[in-house]
Amino acid sequence: MKFSMLPQVFAQMFKKPWTNKFPAKYQPSSTTKYLQDVQAGKAKINPTVETPPGFRGKIQYDREKCIGCKLCINVCPCEAIEFKPEEKKVKFYLARCCFCSQCNDVCPVKCISMSNEFLLADADKYSKDLIVE
Amino acid sequence: MSEGARLTPEEIIKSFKDIFKTDIKDDRIETHKAGSKKTQFTHIWMCIDRSAFKDAVKHLMKLEKYPHLAVVSGYDMGETINLVYHFSIYFSERGKELSLNITVELPKSEPEIETITDLIPGALITEQEKQEMLGIKVKGIPKDKRAFVSDDFPKGMYPWRKDETGPGKMVRNLHEVKE
Amino acid sequence: MSKKALSKTTYQIPIGPIHPALKEPVQFEFTIDGERIVDVDVSLGHVHRSIEWTGMHRNPIQVLYLAERICGICSYCHPMSFALAVERVAGIEVPERADYLRVIQGELERICSHVLWAGVAAHEIGFDSVLFFTWQIREEALDLTEYLTGNRVTKAITMIGGVRRDITPDMVPRVKKSLDFLKANFEKLRKIYLDDKTFKMRTQGCGVLTKENALKLCACGPTTRASGVKKDVRLDQPYFAFDNLDFDYVTPDVLTGEVNGDVYDRIIVRLLEVKQSIELIEQCLERMPEGPIVSEPKIPKLLATLKKVNGEGIGRMEAPRGEVIHYVKLTGQEFPYCWKVRAPTYNNILPWIPMLLGEQIADIPIVAASTDPCMSCTNRVAIVKDNNRSYLDKETLHKLSVEKTRRLMQ
Repeated sequence: MKFSMLPQVFAQMFKKPWTNKFPAKYQPSSTTKYLQDVQAGKAKINPTVETPPGFRGKIQYDREKCIGCKLCINVCPCEAIEFKPEEKKVKFYLARCCFCSQCNDVCPVKCISMSNEFLLADADKYSKDLIVE
Repeated sequence: MSEGARLTPEEIIKSFKDIFKTDIKDDRIETHKAGSKKTQFTHIWMCIDRSAFKDAVKHLMKLEKYPHLAVVSGYDMGETINLVYHFSIYFSERGKELSLNITVELPKSEPEIETITDLIPGALITEQEKQEMLGIKVKGIPKDKRAFVSDDFPKGMYPWRKDETGPGKMVRNLHEVKE
Repeated sequence: MSKKALSKTTYQIPIGPIHPALKEPVQFEFTIDGERIVDVDVSLGHVHRSIEWTGMHRNPIQVLYLAERICGICSYCHPMSFALAVERVAGIEVPERADYLRVIQGELERICSHVLWAGVAAHEIGFDSVLFFTWQIREEALDLTEYLTGNRVTKAITMIGGVRRDITPDMVPRVKKSLDFLKANFEKLRKIYLDDKTFKMRTQGCGVLTKENALKLCACGPTTRASGVKKDVRLDQPYFAFDNLDFDYVTPDVLTGEVNGDVYDRIIVRLLEVKQSIELIEQCLERMPEGPIVSEPKIPKLLATLKKVNGEGIGRMEAPRGEVIHYVKLTGQEFPYCWKVRAPTYNNILPWIPMLLGEQIADIPIVAASTDPCMSCTNRVAIVKDNNRSYLDKETLHKLSVEKTRRLMQ
């Protein structure tokens, strides 16, 4: 007999459920289009869970500051960064990125930073939202 | 648990050398410090001839009744295949454990070694793994079957070797960017 | 194998690799006589990923992140052991504050892992509400991890020579709030698992591993401590800051006074270790000195130093499941010459055979789960392409063991 669990189960019936709600009740066919609809006011979204400071989300790249030293390419464990020799700038493929932020640490001019966006799912590996340059 | 007195690292190496004389070469003691109290602990490294290896393990069991075999590492050095047996003895008391790493060199023309599962039954899986990854033969192993590699992997191919029997031809690069 | 007078014979049941009773893909073959198990044969290798081969073609910083993805629960211990091994080869000294920070992160991971295991064990017995309650508690520990490292599971906090992120004084109140929450709920967990009659009935006397077998088969971690063997890498060969902290081996006689080596003892050992981890984190927060957190902050200089090093070294750590050992051989090139990983479940598989003999079929899930197996640590080569496991028998190992490998460097 679950005597020891009964008080907890009983108490939980009157408390708020612990699960966080998903952004949308049913899954949309393209996340990025759904987000555009929300911004235009056409769809409602449940607010996302707060992320703490220092969360490692989508990469943001300041193109002007980059000097083309290629240190980030040397340390990336996933080979998600490609060098473009004619402009001496880099291109990030987020479909391969593992969000370790090692490129952020090693960059000498600090042109790479991590934002707190994490809703990045998409069906096409090379779509525009998943390439940062 | 150890029976009898605990020996210092120098005494351990001396006890091996007294029995096995020239079969032991390249021994060294490394001391490392831990924490801010700087407790010292030692790693002992030794290289033993393969003919003397099983007797050396029996001698080790006199120092510690049940030595703990962590794993057997192996690598391909071109002419030889080196196996490193990582033992540790004198556990159960704070700060007193010693790691003993024994290297055995096997020539590629005749890569055979005797099993130690009759002395330490826990060595079974790690010996099976060396057989399939490096292509050595362990004589007397109780269950000769592949531990990690699937049964339909080609028979003469050994993933950890760096020569022609390595898996170079089987590597597929799935991540190359297609523009 | 006894044959009774009514011509009962033994028959064989294969279970696995994909089966609802098991959380991990491993194949068992049982020889059954009636309801009792008479013989066991285990075969592994169903999720082999060729990580060691891949590691020999990447530089040490990249290998750190590869090592992290060996397993989701031990995602802290594998890169840390690799860093320990490389530091011992290259003679890099770690600053003192980094040592204490490493201990804090490690013990936090141990809390998350043991509480997860407690939920899984309850689920195997059939108590799903205990599973949800336990994982609710774990959410608080995971939120704390996210606050400290940036992510809940892949912490990415290891660096060769220290850690990557610091715990500044304004972060300490948040840490203390989480620890108080965990301490308050620990007492509830203890009452549910250790005082409940059904748990005792189901787990006492079941899946016994004698002390002699545990020593001979080189078992490690809570599995062997529950059988009375005092083996714990944090105390035997202290690393990080463990020789400054006050704690002792956790064996079941601390609580009950006797050692049986059954599943109930393993539950005791794991719950007591959760309490011990909370106390260790508090001790570290008090004793941590000021100072740098990494010995070489400039990464290109670190890589250049490692390129010139020649030698071999081992790094041993106490993961939540047992002893993790990494062996690294560097020969003055950009990539390590040899890298061997041995995860703790590797050694805890052979004890399944004496544990399962004589038990009933219905006890297989709880006995197998009581050693806390982690197959992704053990078979480090998996099919990551998609979740369709039927590729296991159709494809040849050509595609299985070298999936997603790297382009060979020039």
